[in-house]
Amino acid sequence: MIPFELAEPTSLAAAVKLLDPDDATIRPIAGGTALMLMMKAGVFRPEKLISLRKIESKYSGISAGADGLRIGAMTTLSALEQSADVRKNAPVITRTLLTLSNVRVRNVATVGGALAHGDPHMDLPPVLMALGATLTVIGPKGERKLAVEDLFAGYYETVLEKNELIAEVHVPAQGTKKASYFKVTTGSADDWPALGVAAVIEGDGKAIKSARIVASAATDKATRLKSAEAVLNGKTVDDKLLKQAGEAALQDCEFIADVRGSVPYKRELMKVYLGRAIREALGGGTH
Amino acid sequence: MTDTLNPGSAKVGSQVGRSVPRLEGRDKVTGRAEYTHTMQVPGMVHAKLFRSTVAHGKIKSIDTSAAKKLPGVLHVVTVDDVMKVLKSPYYGPAFHDQPILAHEKVRFVGEPVAAVIATDPHIADQAVQLITAEYEELEAVYDEVDALTSKVYVHDVLKPAGTFADLKHLKNAKDTNLALDYRLRRGDFDKAYAAAAHKFEHEFKTQKVLHLSFEPFACIADYKDTHVTLYDSSQGPSFVRTEIARLLGWPENKVRIKVPYLGSGYGSKLYIKLEALALALSMIARKPVKVAYTFEEMFYQITRHPSTFRIKSGVDKDGKIVARKCEVYWNGGAYADIGPRVTQKSGLTAAGPYDIDNVWIDSYALYTNVTPAGALRGFGVPQLVWAYEGHTDMMARALKMDPVDFRRKNIAREGRPHTTGQMLKDSPIEPVMDKVLERMNWSQPFDKGSGTVKRGRGFAIANKAVISPTTSVAIVNVSADGSTTLYCGTVDMGQGSDTAMAQMVGEVLNIPAESVRVTPRDTDVTPYDMGTLGSRSLFHMGHAVKRAAEDARDKLKALAKEVGEPEGSNIPIADLFQKRYGMQAGNVIGSGIYKPDYTPPAPGTGQSPNVTPFWMVAGAGAEIEVDTETGHVKITKLINVVDCGKAINPKSVETQISGAALMHLGFTMFEKMHIDGGQVTNASLADYKIPGFHDVPAVMENIYIEHDQSNGPFGAKGVGEVATFCVGPAIANAIDDAVGVRLMEMPLNAEAVYRALRIKQGKPLENE
Repeated sequence: MIPFELAEPTSLAAAVKLLDPDDATIRPIAGGTALMLMMKAGVFRPEKLISLRKIESKYSGISAGADGLRIGAMTTLSALEQSADVRKNAPVITRTLLTLSNVRVRNVATVGGALAHGDPHMDLPPVLMALGATLTVIGPKGERKLAVEDLFAGYYETVLEKNELIAEVHVPAQGTKKASYFKVTTGSADDWPALGVAAVIEGDGKAIKSARIVASAATDKATRLKSAEAVLNGKTVDDKLLKQAGEAALQDCEFIADVRGSVPYKRELMKVYLGRAIREALGGGTH
Repeated sequence: MTDTLNPGSAKVGSQVGRSVPRLEGRDKVTGRAEYTHTMQVPGMVHAKLFRSTVAHGKIKSIDTSAAKKLPGVLHVVTVDDVMKVLKSPYYGPAFHDQPILAHEKVRFVGEPVAAVIATDPHIADQAVQLITAEYEELEAVYDEVDALTSKVYVHDVLKPAGTFADLKHLKNAKDTNLALDYRLRRGDFDKAYAAAAHKFEHEFKTQKVLHLSFEPFACIADYKDTHVTLYDSSQGPSFVRTEIARLLGWPENKVRIKVPYLGSGYGSKLYIKLEALALALSMIARKPVKVAYTFEEMFYQITRHPSTFRIKSGVDKDGKIVARKCEVYWNGGAYADIGPRVTQKSGLTAAGPYDIDNVWIDSYALYTNVTPAGALRGFGVPQLVWAYEGHTDMMARALKMDPVDFRRKNIAREGRPHTTGQMLKDSPIEPVMDKVLERMNWSQPFDKGSGTVKRGRGFAIANKAVISPTTSVAIVNVSADGSTTLYCGTVDMGQGSDTAMAQMVGEVLNIPAESVRVTPRDTDVTPYDMGTLGSRSLFHMGHAVKRAAEDARDKLKALAKEVGEPEGSNIPIADLFQKRYGMQAGNVIGSGIYKPDYTPPAPGTGQSPNVTPFWMVAGAGAEIEVDTETGHVKITKLINVVDCGKAINPKSVETQISGAALMHLGFTMFEKMHIDGGQVTNASLADYKIPGFHDVPAVMENIYIEHDQSNGPFGAKGVGEVATFCVGPAIANAIDDAVGVRLMEMPLNAEAVYRALRIKQGKPLENE
């Protein structure tokens, strides 16, 4: 085995100290489900990995309060999936997790890792972004707040410094908002999505007061569809409106072609699934 | 679910026909079963490969200096080093065209160019990254139809191996990419087609897909000056032994091939793959050397043949097909592997299970600059059925005939000649079709869906001739305590052959199958078998095993007589040995050989009265839903029906059917190696997906009928491939039924269906 150093700090602060903003061969590792694949493929050859598994247990907990959910960044996706607090406060997350990868991955992959990896094909980031979630990020200079919406800088890129770590995710209380997420696959059922669409809507019947809609997977990064939201806000949903919103959504997205579909096809999927996500949210249960 | 037609005369039942659980099942599910990929041999070192990044080029230089300096690296090997130990470094079953490491030229992206031998596979892997090579790039040819007329030649000179008579004329051929041109002529196609009332012509294509065994390719070679042992993940140890002996110029008895259980094969591990390389590396390192692929490397070893099939039919005014012309182009990749046999053996059934008097078949094996192609669960037949059953439905639609009636009018029934001239026997095509229709409730009204979700249904039928002539040998050894051991070269790669063979031994000797020990494959002790391929084993090896068991039974009877037991005595076998040898000593050895009768097809016409010992017969039906806004197809029902002759192990027959059908569902719906400029762009399991549990249709039936195979062991025939044939065209026919679009190329993924819908609407979707 090619040797690399593995550090297992027992606190988040210590982990931050071990990271080097200028050295890309030193990386934090949480669940490792993405990083190990990159290492096996030879895409990433670390000098040193900083394991986060032994940091304070409070970073793997979920709590619910009047202001919403607080999810430690080291919480595994299966803990998130099984949490009664999550199911009660943001059931769209619970539903999303059922088709997110597979049970083996969910048992070790973490919420923080799913965000920090910056992979546009992940299911959780668009959902958290649509729910208006914010992050607590810890770096050498202390902590800062960052909206999930502002996390992604591009394809596999985030705005985090190399010595910053996500500590916690805060999902604000959703009140009477309703939510949906569609993972659209074009290959096998458990393939990465060709398109992800998350919608969180404040509304009354078919009338939309305000909508937050996010597209992912077909795009270079999880992307909020502000033009589509502008079309929908204050309107009552009908086929014509959804069609307009679908067309508007195309202006917000930087589509990418891959083995899961061409750009023109992904644009068509976007138009169709934008409408389906809105209808699903309005017709489905809350959040 | 079984229908027994035409029951056989043989009285069986103590062991044959029983769903005996897999003999090795417990070892496998508890992780005790041994596989080459995880095997360790004392003193073993590891090799990894440096691969070509260009599709076609002359090698100008290879720089291995940095790799050699890495601590832990023992050797960095190029073909020049190989040629110091093996003068001619070329191997292959049909052509000796594949070099152990690239020699002067590279012919596909991913071709092995150099190997690193190191104490640890990860060190070897890291050293590989330090190798560089310079190429003079040459123009490449990728498409099978282009390859026939292209001025770009993949090989300068063709080198047939000499084993196949129909390749001899290609010896030293130049300026061609054609590795076999098979032809069949029956009647007068031109005349009958010209006179036909209706004429149809279509072109169908299939994509490049992969076997993806759960156990990637692996071989450990342990070379000594006097003998060599290979631990090998192989479906055909006998062939490997022959080919390794040829490369070394040794007699076969100095070459030992040991094969533990295989983590599946599907045709990928046939003939010779990593063995020659592992041998050469062990000769250089003078240590046991293991070559074990990662999943990503499997995209550069062997694939299924992409194909283009141009099919033409003339139909008379009553709906009878009177003439058919088939031109099939097989994309064989850079090295022939077994492609020429795929071209010929599947070529002879290219016209389908129909009774057509005037048939013309041309089937071309072509070299191209992509990963080589070989056998994949069906030996080319799924690609053919995809075309001819789509064509059949399209004709029925155009003629406004019911697809069932149209097929009934044209099916080749028993007692009628197949297009090869062989009279059809034990080929229950119509009963299989009827079973599909019964399970589909075909005569009942069908809900075609509404709104944006349209529903459709379709079916397909097919047959295949088992590859012939091939030989199997088996030995049954009864020990002095009465326990029984079977030596047979059929490789159990998950299909359950060990269990089925043990059942046949048990049936003859009247002992429980569970008590029969099947030895692991080892050419030092296991007798010859042509290979575990093409659904041949249950029939051919089954015969050999049955004969070996009968021979042992007869010898036991003779022994009983010799020791004075009366006729029909039920004295325990151990007591027979005790009486004869005075102690627990001795053996009774039974042996059996089977090779079916065969008449080679006449050159030029492909006609033969005896081209195959049995026909595989399959049918499938699908009900689907199409989301017309996105093109997504949901398979709501999949019915698979095959004829198995006699189910030796009913449970294994069912799992062979379901496994074959689901594998083919993946090929039909989404699997595809995307290739850009010769480079595979999705060479990983992250981007090349195979079906998972959520892809299994909500209703899936795996049904066999038992039509006694009159020349089969206990009336049985093989079923490994047969359920792959019809899944693709059944689904394509169902899509056409639902939304009126016809897909001519696999896979039938959502984008392909959506694009076809847009074309039908007169609003084609732009390309990029």
